[in-house]
Amino acid sequence: MSTVADRDVALVDLVDRLLGAGVVIAGDLTLAVADIDLVYVQLRALITSVATAEEKGLLPPIGDAL
Amino acid sequence: MIELYAITAAAGPPLPTALALHAVPIGDLAAICAPAEEDEREITPDSLWRHEQVVEALMEDRDLLPVRFGTRLDDDAAAARSLAGRRDEFKRALERVRGAVELSVRAVFLDTVGAVEPTGRTGADYLRLKRRITAAQETVASVVHQPLLELARAHTLRSPRPPSEALRAAYLVERGAVGRFTGLVAQLDEQHPELQLLCTGPWPPYSFVES
Repeated sequence: MSTVADRDVALVDLVDRLLGAGVVIAGDLTLAVADIDLVYVQLRALITSVATAEEKGLLPPIGDAL
Repeated sequence: MIELYAITAAAGPPLPTALALHAVPIGDLAAICAPAEEDEREITPDSLWRHEQVVEALMEDRDLLPVRFGTRLDDDAAAARSLAGRRDEFKRALERVRGAVELSVRAVFLDTVGAVEPTGRTGADYLRLKRRITAAQETVASVVHQPLLELARAHTLRSPRPPSEALRAAYLVERGAVGRFTGLVAQLDEQHPELQLLCTGPWPPYSFVES
């Protein structure tokens, strides 16, 4: 995960883990995330090089279920 | 306000000095925390990676349970209060992940097995497509997932994202077996040109904090 391209590929895995797994301390989340799919959509807008991942078939086209 | 990063054994190597971390003791466990960036409320790729870098730095020389991103508490006392009642659960989980890291594997079909748009087609076409996707996922389970299980202590399956993803899995792998695991992934990737296997990690054991 050292290069920029690798990081974009790994972002999906990163979101799965940081926002969808790990120890949950109930009731104290101030950045609570209700919908991980929504976060993916938001993040996609921020990542310019995500197009590369899409060309490789790593991500479904925008508009599909993620 | 403090942000929680990980739960680990109280007795362990010193915390990395470059980071403004401190340990909140909870019996023989400790919660690794840092002052929270008060103005940082938005989730961005950078904020996720910064958090991940801290946990990975900690993971280098200790076993830990990563805490979900964005867990903030008022102060050390609040952290100790929140965690004290769950010590046994955390100790069991730490025992399960001892000496191991997490590797992520996703299998993506490069051909058009699932890429046919069902929209505007007949119901029979749609059912055929569904059957093809199911068959493809079953194939991946036997030719990719099963061999990888041989090198894993445990695994977690997430739902693959259609249409092209056929496997989305996490494997708990001994630190010493990571090279063999990624070697096997590369080998399987080569044996199955119709698939692309995306392996990332080693990650802290996010997917293995619960029984």
